[in-house]
Amino acid sequence: MGVHLNVFAQLVRNTVKSRGMPSARQVFVPTPLMNTPPAVLRQYVEGDDPVHSRPFMAEVFDQLTRPVPAGELRGEGWDRSTPRYVEASGEAEMHGLFQERRYTDFLPIVLPTEEHVERMLAGTSHPPDEMVGKLRPTIGMEHWHFDVEKVAVNAVMAGAAPEHFPVILALASSGDTGRQSSMSSMGNMVLVNGPIRHEIGMNSGIGAMGPYNYANSVIGRAFGLLSQNLQGGSVPGVTYAGSQGCNFSYNCITFAENEEASPWEPYHLQHGYDRDESTVTVSYIWGSVWAEYLRTYWEEKLQAMICGLEPGMGCTLVLDPIVAREFVEKGFDTKDKLALWIHEHARIPQRRYWDHVMLNLIHEEVESGVEPFASYWNAPPDELIPVFEPDRVNIVVAGGETNGHFSIFMGSPMRAKFRTNKGQKAAVSIDAWR
Amino acid sequence: MFRVLNPEGYPPAVSASGMASALDTVEGKKLFLVDVGFANSDNFMAQLNGWFEEHRPAIRTEVVRWRNQHIPDPELCERIKAEGDAAIIGVGT
Repeated sequence: MGVHLNVFAQLVRNTVKSRGMPSARQVFVPTPLMNTPPAVLRQYVEGDDPVHSRPFMAEVFDQLTRPVPAGELRGEGWDRSTPRYVEASGEAEMHGLFQERRYTDFLPIVLPTEEHVERMLAGTSHPPDEMVGKLRPTIGMEHWHFDVEKVAVNAVMAGAAPEHFPVILALASSGDTGRQSSMSSMGNMVLVNGPIRHEIGMNSGIGAMGPYNYANSVIGRAFGLLSQNLQGGSVPGVTYAGSQGCNFSYNCITFAENEEASPWEPYHLQHGYDRDESTVTVSYIWGSVWAEYLRTYWEEKLQAMICGLEPGMGCTLVLDPIVAREFVEKGFDTKDKLALWIHEHARIPQRRYWDHVMLNLIHEEVESGVEPFASYWNAPPDELIPVFEPDRVNIVVAGGETNGHFSIFMGSPMRAKFRTNKGQKAAVSIDAWR
Repeated sequence: MFRVLNPEGYPPAVSASGMASALDTVEGKKLFLVDVGFANSDNFMAQLNGWFEEHRPAIRTEVVRWRNQHIPDPELCERIKAEGDAAIIGVGT
């Protein structure tokens, strides 16, 4: 029997139905659970199940002893295949139908006619029926699969052109979703490296992270649309649980690294690719803090910025080339040296390091004695712990040098443990999808 | 009639593994109370355990914890099958 928060009643119903067990035993308690004191939790147990509208414990006993339909005892399935076409009486009706079915982000779309999709498919050498990958809204939910044609349909809807299609296919193949269902309302950052940046005219200079470039705009939007449609939806309360939602999700902060103006090696070289290869990397992002120049007290300020972030999520520094060169002048002639400085100098007390989120994310590693987390767990409450391990500090150079500004985003690529495609690098080859 | 291509992916086939039979009674049975590891689930299971101890002492309960909140713990599931009659798993958030 499962115990769930009442806000997830519809999600729970859909999940057990998709597993062929619509009568699976489920009881519900009120929301919230986190930070709720024991006395209130006891009231949850002694009070009513808010979904079934009867005493919680009565529902527990009833469901444990209620006979199960014979079909569900042996396991039953049914056909739920999706048709290849959607039909309506006209274009206006089709736009309405796409919104009604939540295929869109509620901005205008290009309807994916066969002609449009065929044109998009010319952007790759891969056949339309080649399987590309699988996606799901979050860990624990089922994976949906898709082929090249399905990705092309969503690319058309986003307004993309055939030359953008290899980047969009690489994103679709990554196993990363641009519509993650986490209650924490995470968004994404999509970073493109290599020669394709220039081939398709991406922006890495002035306004790189803003709405000032065709390729940046539609690639990010396509990633979001393909994610919601190819993973089985992103519907609040059903397949999306983010409490506040994230405005980053409209475009997934899509931009190119300014490799030419950077004093350091580009991101994809750090991750095993050659300079003449093109890659795309997805990060999961919660928000950012901003600063300008490395002024007199830059060390203190950088420490404060990092120490305000949640330790479990990693961080991504997006530095204007002016700031990157300032770091070089201070002795950080590689990105790794800067990441190591942050690891060594940005520290918080043990008691705060383990407060809630971090404990949830790596409890298994702590119990298994994985270092350094086991030592961090056993440290005294006031001992200062590094906020991030060096490999969780990502550094990217972007911007047009109008001023020495930089942002630090809370978030990074999905850790290997949680990746859909086990063993796959976070940086995905675009060339493989040309 | 206006026709376009469907943007939805391909859902997996529904292949149920089958549910466990209902208990004839809960009295005298062993229930595992499984803390899945989300924040405060441990405290909720402690309160649920306390309720059983106070109100239904003839029902044996044991609070256990999954090692990973996102994935069922196979060793623990085997132990529950071998030693228990039912499991209450939560809190799903």
